[in-house]
Amino acid sequence: MKSTFSDRVGTFNNGEKITREERRRFLCLGLKITGVLLGGSLLSLVPVEKAQSELLGASVIGTFPYQPHYAMLIYNDRCIDCERCLDACAQTNNVPSYGYRITILNRKKNIATATKMIREFLPVICNQCNRPPCVRVCPTKATFKDKTNGIVLINESLCIGCKACMTACPYNARYYDRNSESVDKCDFCFRRRLQNGVPKPACVEVCPADAMLFGDLSDQNGDLYRKLHAPQQTILVLRPESGSMPNVFYLSGLHGGSRMGIPE
Amino acid sequence: MIRLLALFPFIFTMLASLGAAWQVGAQEYGGGPIVFIKPVRAVIFEHRVHLGKNFNCQSCHPEIFAKKAGQVEEKEDFTMAAFRQGKYCGRCHDGATAFSIDTDCTWCHIGVQGHKHLEEYELGIK
Repeated sequence: MKSTFSDRVGTFNNGEKITREERRRFLCLGLKITGVLLGGSLLSLVPVEKAQSELLGASVIGTFPYQPHYAMLIYNDRCIDCERCLDACAQTNNVPSYGYRITILNRKKNIATATKMIREFLPVICNQCNRPPCVRVCPTKATFKDKTNGIVLINESLCIGCKACMTACPYNARYYDRNSESVDKCDFCFRRRLQNGVPKPACVEVCPADAMLFGDLSDQNGDLYRKLHAPQQTILVLRPESGSMPNVFYLSGLHGGSRMGIPE
Repeated sequence: MIRLLALFPFIFTMLASLGAAWQVGAQEYGGGPIVFIKPVRAVIFEHRVHLGKNFNCQSCHPEIFAKKAGQVEEKEDFTMAAFRQGKYCGRCHDGATAFSIDTDCTWCHIGVQGHKHLEEYELGIK
């Protein structure tokens, strides 16, 4: 053992007698340190499994760090695209005609039993992500996550209108407001309603089909918490692969086994 | 040439009768979809989907719906709540005769975007 150590020192000093095994071990060490073998992330000195789970946010799934933790559940097959939510939103938050805080996506769908084409609607709002990509890219920290309730807000006076957040948002939930010269987005009506003690956002209140359910996820006896944690149903989020961990959830009543069950 | 001219009245009458026949057909099928925009925009009703399923004109007209298209829209109780009590569409859409009104929303509710699409591509721009 002693002799091998002195041999190694000797080889390094001479610089000529490095064996193949030695060189391989050295290169392997270098690759491990730079993280090439560890899933490609540079300078990652943590084990691979942990690095991946951190990327997807698995270590925080099921925990609701804010108090209250505002979230929304959308029954997407109840949406009938009446666009009352759009009108109510525009009225409440002074959304200009070119802007939007809610987008209703639609696609045509073929039904197997009929020759009729029907539409499918999907309301999309700001998902108030737990790991918001928009907040990460903002150069002036104008957009931030509220420390108490987790709503992603914008400080209009700090926003320089670079639109980096609009590019970063996986849900295309932001638009540029030319009047205030800043980016604007859905804040669950925090500034206009929740802050003043009104319990629901405007869109939720006007929806004739009860397609949206708004609530506090930190309250384990709350309606929303129980609906989200009910067994035998599949809760979906939009673009989970972006790792943003959204707080807007989707539940499809028709395909989840039971029919819609709209209250009488 | 003269022979062709002699044929002309014959062709004309043929065309006229064809036109008349087509018009009768249109009346029978109610002439295109009816779109309701009250109380929510927009709900589609198509005669061609409903006819030929053991229904004739008297099944709905004039007892449930007035014969003039869209007239029912003016009524105050033309709502889903009234349908649940078996009025209007709810007479058949009760889950037994036809699918229940608590399911398959978008079969009839085509939405604002659906209405716009319909106006642009199928009904013609007004």
